[in-house]
Amino acid sequence: MNAAGTDRGRGVRALAIALAVLLAAPTLLAPALAHAEDLKITLVAPLSGRWARQGQLKKMGAEMAIAEVEAQGGIKALGGGKIVLREADAGDSVEKAVSAAQRALSREKISAGIGSWLSSFTLGVTEVAERLQVPWFTLSYADSITERGFKYTFQSSPVSSLQADQALDLILDLAKRNNQQLKKAALVGDNTAAIVFFFKPLREKLLKAKGIDIVVDEVWTPPLADATAIVQKLRSSQPDIVFYGATNFPDSVQVLQKVKEFGLKTPFMGVGAWLVTPEYVKTVGKELLDNVMSVTAAHPLKGQEDLVKRFTQRTGEPFMTQDPLMSYAHVWIIKEAAELAKSTDPKAIRDAVARLDLRSGPAASTLIPGYIKYDDRGRRVGATPIIVQWQGGEPFTVVPAELATRKPVWHGGK
Amino acid sequence: MPLGDLVQYVVTGLLVGGVYALMSIGLALIFGVMKVVNFAQGDFMMLGMYLTYFLAVGYGVDPLLGALLTIPPFFVLGLLVHRTLLVRVTGGGNPQRLMDAQLILTLGLSLIITNATTMILTPMPRGIQTAYATQAFAVGPILMNQARSYAFLMALVLAGLVYVFLTRTDVGKALRAAADEPEAAGYQGIDVRAMHGLAFGVGIALVAAAGGLLATYHPIEPTVAVNFIVLMFVAVVLGGLGSIPGAFAGGLVIGLVQSLTLLVLPFQLQNAGVFIAFLLVLYLRPQGLFGQRLRAV
Repeated sequence: MNAAGTDRGRGVRALAIALAVLLAAPTLLAPALAHAEDLKITLVAPLSGRWARQGQLKKMGAEMAIAEVEAQGGIKALGGGKIVLREADAGDSVEKAVSAAQRALSREKISAGIGSWLSSFTLGVTEVAERLQVPWFTLSYADSITERGFKYTFQSSPVSSLQADQALDLILDLAKRNNQQLKKAALVGDNTAAIVFFFKPLREKLLKAKGIDIVVDEVWTPPLADATAIVQKLRSSQPDIVFYGATNFPDSVQVLQKVKEFGLKTPFMGVGAWLVTPEYVKTVGKELLDNVMSVTAAHPLKGQEDLVKRFTQRTGEPFMTQDPLMSYAHVWIIKEAAELAKSTDPKAIRDAVARLDLRSGPAASTLIPGYIKYDDRGRRVGATPIIVQWQGGEPFTVVPAELATRKPVWHGGK
Repeated sequence: MPLGDLVQYVVTGLLVGGVYALMSIGLALIFGVMKVVNFAQGDFMMLGMYLTYFLAVGYGVDPLLGALLTIPPFFVLGLLVHRTLLVRVTGGGNPQRLMDAQLILTLGLSLIITNATTMILTPMPRGIQTAYATQAFAVGPILMNQARSYAFLMALVLAGLVYVFLTRTDVGKALRAAADEPEAAGYQGIDVRAMHGLAFGVGIALVAAAGGLLATYHPIEPTVAVNFIVLMFVAVVLGGLGSIPGAFAGGLVIGLVQSLTLLVLPFQLQNAGVFIAFLLVLYLRPQGLFGQRLRAV
């Protein structure tokens, strides 16, 4: 072989290597250059109808968390993928909520869902999620949501019956410290699922066990035409405490206005975050609200001032409540689950949520008791009700005491 | 039950029914003159509530006065809606096809108004804080909510004015003639199309004023109409389709039945009482309380 032949051979080899490198380059560089995979989640919440405001608040919380996840570099296990929110309107009936969930989950690949605020809606929507095997996160309270053996439903709030139990203990303790004895109670509220499950144990055993008589027990189907008859019964029977569940804003306003009109001084203990939204101050005035407490699943705690500030600056809302807090936490939980699962596959995310034991980070620090873990039924371990009280036109956490932002005040007395 | 409580239930029912009555008159007028079932009636009421709210919040106008101030702009709005939309589905033609088109048009209008309001004003409920919403006139042991009492009185006055307008003025008589016998009215030189526009304008203005009165004690949100539209229809049918005094009485009856039902039925069945009464009236007096029986020839 002569020198010229060797040179040609070397040239051909070099050319072959260059060609091979060029051909292999896309494959070799693929992981580095590939677009990060986005994680699509859906929020099925009432965005129209009588509960639209709650849906709007939930959306605000979810959007804030999504923006923060993105600002921190997205989901690292998915190459910095973003979370993309697909919202669907649950409307004002179970049928609409179910059909919205059906549409949202079948139109494209959705990795996880959040919703749908009202327990009655959530009961329907989670059936769709279970069937389509998409993990679903809810703040709804009704016990039955996680009593059906579903594998894809994760309930982050303490259930209604637990809230009733703990709210009663708290109110008894509070009354005792204010030298009041509770002997007569009233149950006043609508027949939506969370309220039904809150009232049921109170009606059937809890109040009786504490020696308290139920003097008024009035339940209605929203909307309420007029609250006169209800408040008239309260006036004539003079209960020491009113357990209150009017999830529909106009109904609740009517009752509170009537309470003021009839000069009733009985303390009100509501159930749910519907009673601590900013529009109450504008509609009924702060003076009337100072009589009112509510049991909720989440509310800003001591040490969360920065979170609340970010929320109020971003949204223009005067304060933060359960609905945005919960959806904020849910988005972060989904993000952490995706990191663990290293996938956008809903089944993989569901399995990751089941083994999640978050002890730090935004998700864990948002909700009491400071960690995120779900049990076999899908209930959040350690979920504890929070008692919120209106004071000076703003709702503050008053229980648990160690995380409270204000001390509870007893407004009762006849 | 003590007599005082019974009287309280009756008074409460009448006060609630007063605003139902005013809402229903507008619907009855539109149906009576144009034979149009206006599904968007409740949405015009909602818009009336918002206008009253913005007048109160932005300019400090008392909502009772604000309710009256809604009348002129909503009258014009009614005329415009008639001129641009309803005129296409009323008048001559196949009555069945016209009715179908009217139902679709007004239902579509209702959906558009509700959703546009939700988009523009957000679903956040708003309310006008008035002192009289949480105060009552005490007549012995009977309490009469001040806001509802004022609203009731104003509803009564407005309904009276409509009645006088329809029975004592030439335009009112022409309107009734156009309602009773459009063809003959046309021969008499009455512009039936203009009368339809007038009826629609007055009907919308009345329901907007009713909305303004309602806003003195009821929160305002884009979907507030759904709570009232069915009751309005029941009042109109109960009173005798198209009869103005009938619709007024129908509204009062609904308020009374809602209130008195609570004496015998639990709260959850409050509206069931209304529908039971409705079915009873239809069974015993199919033409409604004030309607005239049609005789088959």
